[in-house]
Amino acid sequence: MAEGVAAPAPSERPARRKSTPAERSAEDRRADQTDLLGRRAVELSRFYAGKIETVPKVPVRSLHDFALWYSPGVAEVSRAIRADPELAFELTGRWNTVAIVTDGSRVLGLGDIGPEAALPVMEGKALLFKFLGGVDAVAIPIQVGSPDEFISTVEAIAPAFGGINMEDTASPKCFGILEELSKRLPIPVWHDDQLGTAAATVAGLLNALALTDRSVGEIRTVLVGAGAANLVTARLLIALGHAPKRISLVDQKGVLHAERDDVDELSVRNPWKYRLALATDGGGRVGGIPEAIDGADVLIAASTPVAETVRAEHVKAMARGPIVFALANPVPEIWPDVARAAGAAVVATGRSDFPNQVNNSLVFPAVFRGVLDARARSIPDEVVLAAARELARGAERRGRTVHHILPTMEESEVFPEVAAAVGDTAVRLGLARHRLTHDEFLERARTLMGRPARLVRALARAHLTAPMPRGTIGRRRAA
Amino acid sequence: MTARPSATPGAAGASTDRATRPVHVRPAREADIPALVPLLLRLKRLNEEFDPLLKVRDDADPQARQILKAQIADPKAVVLAAEGVGAEKEKVVGIVRAIVRERPFYAPPWEGVILDIYLLPLYRRRGVGEYLLDEVSAALKAKGAGIVTAEFPAQNEIAGRFYAKRGFRPVTSIHARPL
Repeated sequence: MAEGVAAPAPSERPARRKSTPAERSAEDRRADQTDLLGRRAVELSRFYAGKIETVPKVPVRSLHDFALWYSPGVAEVSRAIRADPELAFELTGRWNTVAIVTDGSRVLGLGDIGPEAALPVMEGKALLFKFLGGVDAVAIPIQVGSPDEFISTVEAIAPAFGGINMEDTASPKCFGILEELSKRLPIPVWHDDQLGTAAATVAGLLNALALTDRSVGEIRTVLVGAGAANLVTARLLIALGHAPKRISLVDQKGVLHAERDDVDELSVRNPWKYRLALATDGGGRVGGIPEAIDGADVLIAASTPVAETVRAEHVKAMARGPIVFALANPVPEIWPDVARAAGAAVVATGRSDFPNQVNNSLVFPAVFRGVLDARARSIPDEVVLAAARELARGAERRGRTVHHILPTMEESEVFPEVAAAVGDTAVRLGLARHRLTHDEFLERARTLMGRPARLVRALARAHLTAPMPRGTIGRRRAA
Repeated sequence: MTARPSATPGAAGASTDRATRPVHVRPAREADIPALVPLLLRLKRLNEEFDPLLKVRDDADPQARQILKAQIADPKAVVLAAEGVGAEKEKVVGIVRAIVRERPFYAPPWEGVILDIYLLPLYRRRGVGEYLLDEVSAALKAKGAGIVTAEFPAQNEIAGRFYAKRGFRPVTSIHARPL
């Protein structure tokens, strides 16, 4: 999630609301469960020794076939690509291969743990890429000292890939790296912590607005946390027609406005945040969350996980039937029951155990499926918004309610639709080298996104993947 | 200092299309000091961002007050205040500070040194920087300066580009190390 937020220092923090015994035991259970899942994950990681392996996709009838798959036959394939580099997307797996690149500088909620420690997370991401998107993703944590080194390293490995997924790289350097790579590389570059979270947020918000009879052109929004996700959410909202001067971004120093003391510092250290400081100018407010939130329609908190960053009285001060997204993980800025009791009409969190989970995994597999199938050159905000809109429509088709503003991960029929919307948009914007029709994108996405689950089942049936060993710890889904 | 050039009021406007600008520049008055000090300190804190050797002193606030007071009265210094226009006419949104000093060995002998130019972010662009530069240059020229120079942190590339675009080039470098 994002940078910290204007949470009062411990000494001045108001006394915590006393949890009821029932709430306490629920929180304890969640903590215990997280602990159990962690221990089980270590056990299983040791057992399987990694989550991804390379598997041939061609028949090998005998060793003679290597004269085709490798030397001498393969030389002709190389000659063809030499003559027309675009052919790499047809004659090799490049069309469907993505690099998951991280410097390990901001991994999950763990902070700067370095590339080695980031590897299990990137392997997990590769598994999600394959299982959900049918994308072959390679985990590549890199040891780099500077953003320039990050950029040149990714540029150096790009010829092997059809797309780049940046992951878990600290804000604000992630913005500059993404911008520069997008400029330099002829393939799509994505940073999930910026774009994935923001796209899922916008998708949920579109449905929440429809449910509460609001339009994006007239709402007042407070964004708590000014890290990667919320800075992009603000940018996307403005692109959708949200008046910038009706957005208040709040970080640990309070409402971000054009004359805040640190605004010149931001112009040097975080120009993306600086630009929003000028564009929003605090949404006409100065101060902190209490000043910003008065009368707001929408609250989107994507901050460091500090419980009660947002309090019931904040929600009560909002407009009637407000929309509250509390996205910090694992502890939301305000618990959904507290937000609803304070009058929130729609509540979303980042957690799978509450309704309305704002989850990157709803977005990135489908976006990559779409841009890879279109062989898009880049992923501009129009494409991100197309994905968000289609995701919102997916939830709507199933029945839009205050508890269902986003598809769940189980509603997987939505994802090929999102991929097709992404492909269509890339074609419309002239970014696609592979100009398929909507039905072609959809059909291709359904096939490619459906295959990995069958593959995983087939490997298990053939005993090529070992069954889950019984552990000392209760078996539960960790997704 | 020897024969001092005649002191005339600064801010002789060499400017055009003033109507479209969000600011108006005039010589600063003593009454402006409370509004000018925070602007000056913002600039100094920005400079600190570029280089730890430009660490702002704890007593920078009273220092700024004292220096501004002295220089507003000093005929060989130029202190300009930029104020808003229209509804923001009373609001001081920028400061320019410069001095005229002698170059004992070089010609021309009087140098106008721009020490500080600061504008609140929302009042930047739209040619405002150029307007301030023109105004302070005219004021320095009127005080006898035959050359105008600008001091800013070596790491401030934006300032470097701003001046380079307007015909400035590096002449002297100041290199530092702590003792």
